[in-house]
Amino acid sequence: MARFVCESREEFLDRLRALVDAGTDPENIRVRMPFYVPEALQVLGEGPDRLRFFALFGGIAGFGSGLALTIYSVLSWPIIVGGKPIVSLPPFLLIGYLLTILFGALGAFAGFLLLARLPSGRSLAADAEFPERFVIAVETGEGA
Amino acid sequence: MITVTMSRGTFPFYFLALVVAVTFFEYGGLVAGKGSLLMTLVFWTTLLQGAIAAAAVADLVGARWITVLRRQIMAAYPLLLVPPLLLILLVPRLDLYPWAEAPGQWLNVPFFLLRNLALLLAVYGTGRLYALRSLRGDPRTPRSAVFYLFAFVASQTLVAFDWVMSLEYPWISTLFGAYFFVEALYAGLALAGVLCFLLPPRQGEGLAAEEVKPLRDIGLLLFGFSVLWGGLFFAQYLLLWYGNLPEEIQFIARRLESLPLRALCVLFLAANFLVPFLGLLGRRAKRSDRVVGAVAAIVLAGFFAERLFFILPAAPMPVGILLVENILFFAFWLLTVHSREYLLPAGTES
Amino acid sequence: MRSEEQDKLSAFQRLENDVLAAMRRPGPRYLAAVGLCALLVLMLFALWGGLVWRGMGLSGKNNPVGWAMLITNFVFWVGIAHSGTLISAVLFLFRARFRTSFNRSAEAMTIFALMVAGLFPLIHLGRVWVFYYLLPYPSERLIWPNFRSPLVWDVFAVTTYMIVSLVFFYVGMIPDLAIARRRLPGLRGKIYGLLSLGWEGTLRQWRHYGRLYLFLAAFATPLVASVHSIVSWDFAVSIVPGWHTTIFAPYFVAGAIFSGTAMVLILTIPMRRLLRLEPYITVDHFEAIAKILLFTSLIITYTYIVEHGLAFYGDNPFEHDQYLYRMLGDYRLLFAIMIVCNSLLPLTLFVRRLRRSLTWLFVLGILVNVGMWLERFVIIVTSLAHDYDPYAWGTYNFSLVEFGITVGSFGLFFLLFLLFARLLPVLAVTEIKEHS
Repeated sequence: MARFVCESREEFLDRLRALVDAGTDPENIRVRMPFYVPEALQVLGEGPDRLRFFALFGGIAGFGSGLALTIYSVLSWPIIVGGKPIVSLPPFLLIGYLLTILFGALGAFAGFLLLARLPSGRSLAADAEFPERFVIAVETGEGA
Repeated sequence: MITVTMSRGTFPFYFLALVVAVTFFEYGGLVAGKGSLLMTLVFWTTLLQGAIAAAAVADLVGARWITVLRRQIMAAYPLLLVPPLLLILLVPRLDLYPWAEAPGQWLNVPFFLLRNLALLLAVYGTGRLYALRSLRGDPRTPRSAVFYLFAFVASQTLVAFDWVMSLEYPWISTLFGAYFFVEALYAGLALAGVLCFLLPPRQGEGLAAEEVKPLRDIGLLLFGFSVLWGGLFFAQYLLLWYGNLPEEIQFIARRLESLPLRALCVLFLAANFLVPFLGLLGRRAKRSDRVVGAVAAIVLAGFFAERLFFILPAAPMPVGILLVENILFFAFWLLTVHSREYLLPAGTES
Repeated sequence: MRSEEQDKLSAFQRLENDVLAAMRRPGPRYLAAVGLCALLVLMLFALWGGLVWRGMGLSGKNNPVGWAMLITNFVFWVGIAHSGTLISAVLFLFRARFRTSFNRSAEAMTIFALMVAGLFPLIHLGRVWVFYYLLPYPSERLIWPNFRSPLVWDVFAVTTYMIVSLVFFYVGMIPDLAIARRRLPGLRGKIYGLLSLGWEGTLRQWRHYGRLYLFLAAFATPLVASVHSIVSWDFAVSIVPGWHTTIFAPYFVAGAIFSGTAMVLILTIPMRRLLRLEPYITVDHFEAIAKILLFTSLIITYTYIVEHGLAFYGDNPFEHDQYLYRMLGDYRLLFAIMIVCNSLLPLTLFVRRLRRSLTWLFVLGILVNVGMWLERFVIIVTSLAHDYDPYAWGTYNFSLVEFGITVGSFGLFFLLFLLFARLLPVLAVTEIKEHS
């Protein structure tokens, strides 16, 4: 297993590109970065972005629940309040909008935890390593 | 394709031709209905002032999209002189306003004309100074931008309160002024979006990388402004709906009682909020100049519908004359942008 | 070339050292400050307990001014919260670089301000034990809250804002907590390890993290505009003159960002000096914040002009009278201070030297907060004191209990912030590294 420690963003990207150009399979390259370098994603191959579906469905669910909650509750005991219609849309749309944001944000957060596989099992143990330099680890051979 | 261009020398003639043509169409006929010049004026004042204002804000905060579109947008700064001239032409039509017969201290014809002309000329003066400095890359550009924006906010506020809101005197909505100048910025951005689409055709693989990012900014800004606009519209509507006070609700009731006006309402709500929001939600949509251009054009149509919605019940107008006047304006604006190389001083941008 | 990279690396280490140093030393001055704030918090809860025990008569509110100092505090603290999200989320979307010096403290400020704000509807309620009436749950009485009421919208808005802000704050801190895990030994390291969820900075984690941060910023941005709009509609949906005016939504939002930005200045200028973070929070950064302060002040001034102008525009005698009362009536001194602090003094920020003077920014921040608190007070109290029927006019004089609760709320806010400065990294270390 080869391990490279790079001090700067540029050195890190150069090394990555060199490794990929030399024929190393991107699947075998594990990197740890002290901060996000988006170009690394392009070098190592970008998969589809699945987080936005969590946000989108969360948002739609929020809007739906907001309208469902308000309309159901007001129809289950219809009282005329303030001369407004029973199903009065302006306030109900407002509640729907707020729940869109709430469920969208929570959905995105849940999606992140799922997709990034956090909390990882190593959170309790001491060997989770968030390095201060860029670390590239290349797994060679079977069952590394 | 368009072979006509203006130069510095011929520009005043075209300008005068526009003014004469508009006067002819407005006053030359025997048709009833006096609101078309007002409607045209309100719409184009918003659009022209808003375009320069959007550029001014971009220059102030250091946005990047302006670098690609600077000359196209600033080319229209001489058009800022058209609203004051047309306002003078509007004087015979001022009997549209309910306060014309019963003037008060604020709403009387001389003061109305004085303050609006003063602000429109201030907008022209500061706008010209800002545009010229911006094109030169002058380091004093941010300061000129600030002065222009002050004049712009004041002028748009008065367009809202004096020109449109007082048609329904004594109806008041304190948000109206702010609503109009935010709309003007939104319209200015939409105009920039349309300009993106009308940029010269690209060769090869598409626009250069440095040019794509600014386009994405415009898409993002249009998306954000659609939400902001929707929020402001909702703020006004919610309070009028909730209070349900007779003196305030007349404004809405008058506009929702007949079908064509209701249709206009649905149209502009869709065009200014739903279409930009849903259309520009995706990442790829924000980057495509076709989508951004189409959405921007729809937004501009939505603004036209909205202005019509506000003005029509209080100031009936002949549709044909209205269309002719607006087409004249639009053609003149296009011609100005197309002739920018001859009209503008040589600048640092392409 | 080598030494440049070495410099950067050691700069990163210095950054980490400085930020973590703040988390290590509780000096005597810090403990004294915590002690003082804790005393104020005790006073707050004691007075609240007294209010619950003896009844609302201990507060000064009565007919006709049924909403007074406690509601002023609620609106004030919710307003303070907005600036934090502006700096974190909105400036992120606008790619403003200077935000990385402030965003952690600003987000913390948001959460603590919301926590303090959330107390006030409960205090104001009197019979705190029935607060759950406002929550939408299927009840045995088969009754639901009235979703057409702005008070219920408040519940949804402030709750949504609190949860989204917490998530945003926490997510932003995950990499920094991992740094703390790496650098701090023993039990503390383990706790930070748990909090950081085992973050390692792999490509998969960073990739989803980047997208999540963008989505959270995109979701939080409309919240900045809407939460305080909803709070303003608590007043604007009424028909009271001076309250029922459509401009309230953008007016309150601008006011919120204004007072919140002033509070950011009040918190970060001393923090920078006391925690020795001068290299990371520079005068240029403060100048950018000062520009936001100036901009929002101009919006507020515009609103004052429009509101007071249009009050005399129509033929509504109640509006005329209400605004004359505001300017010349029983509370004219407060009105004058409000105008000076909110509209006139911030104009000094047009002068570059004053924009860059940290002393002046700190003083101005305090004055702006005074002015904005008074503005809320003037809006709420004068409209209620002097509405339609002259027979129902009256004035409001605050009681010492309410005054004590107000002071105690500031104590609670500062206590929470002091604890934050000790326990969590006050700067967004990873983001600063990314943008350096």
